[in-house]
Amino acid sequence: MTQRPRTILITGGSRGLGAGIVQSFLDSGDRVATCSRTATDAVRAWEKDPDLEGRFLFQEADLADRAQASAFVRTVLDQWGSVDVLVNNAGIARDGVIALFSDEDSDAVIDLNLKATIHLTRLVVRNMLVHGGGRIINISSIVGLTGYRGLGVYSATKAALDGFSRALARELGSRKITVNSVAPGYLRTEMSHGLDEEQLNQIVRRTPAGRLGEPDDIARAIQFLVDERNDWLTGQVIVVDGGLTC
Amino acid sequence: MNDVQGTILEIVGSLLERANKGDVEVTLDAPIHGDGLGLDSLETAELSALLEDEFGTDPFGAGLMPENISEIVAFYATVEGAGESALA
Repeated sequence: MTQRPRTILITGGSRGLGAGIVQSFLDSGDRVATCSRTATDAVRAWEKDPDLEGRFLFQEADLADRAQASAFVRTVLDQWGSVDVLVNNAGIARDGVIALFSDEDSDAVIDLNLKATIHLTRLVVRNMLVHGGGRIINISSIVGLTGYRGLGVYSATKAALDGFSRALARELGSRKITVNSVAPGYLRTEMSHGLDEEQLNQIVRRTPAGRLGEPDDIARAIQFLVDERNDWLTGQVIVVDGGLTC
Repeated sequence: MNDVQGTILEIVGSLLERANKGDVEVTLDAPIHGDGLGLDSLETAELSALLEDEFGTDPFGAGLMPENISEIVAFYATVEGAGESALA
């Protein structure tokens, strides 16, 4: 994979953790394709950066819509031919106790976090099979391991992604495709904005590393997992949480 | 032999080469699995992807499970020119 620029497909890369992952792979000289429902200032800056010409691709897409997800993958394959690394990052969180949780919110979380991830992975795996291998990273969460009050459906989708990683690792290992989950702890990004200041302070107090995470903490773990030398590391959930769950 | 049939045989042949099964004889009526071409499930998925890349659609993606090359050729006889793709 190092003989040519790697092609990295990162879902939900316009803000927060996803944007941090995009930046990391742009910094490492790779070609990066990402999508989200709308462009952000970060996306517009990458698009205008002359140093990234031919190395950055963005397409507006709601991945919960299978046709839009398929069109995004088609665009990437038309442009660059194959995908070396897939990072399934796109996801949403809706909070609320389960007894009051609406069907609409359940559907929205499951449709994007789980069903869209499965659909997009299927399309990319077909390409990886033909092109001789690849790396898949599913971004799950420590709440998929520990649970969190008020995040039942979100936690369920993240636990499901870990099971998806393990099953695909077994299924695709013989084809030089590794599949792992990265389970971030609490980050200083939009996804933590559902937590109030006191909750965040409590998390920091309980975290051995003494701080919330940054997107680059997660991106570095992903870079390690997708290194071509790490072809014997598959089917695992790598927790990156400052020691919170240790 | 028409172009579609020839292309399909070429794709299957190259797939078997990569799978170290280059000594398997590719005939129109050879079963895709078992004692015929002996494709396993991942090789079948790879064949599906290769056919889709070539023709824009493939019988496996369309929900069919062809049992030999003839049935794949027959599928394209019914959809030729449709140009529909799972990724379109």
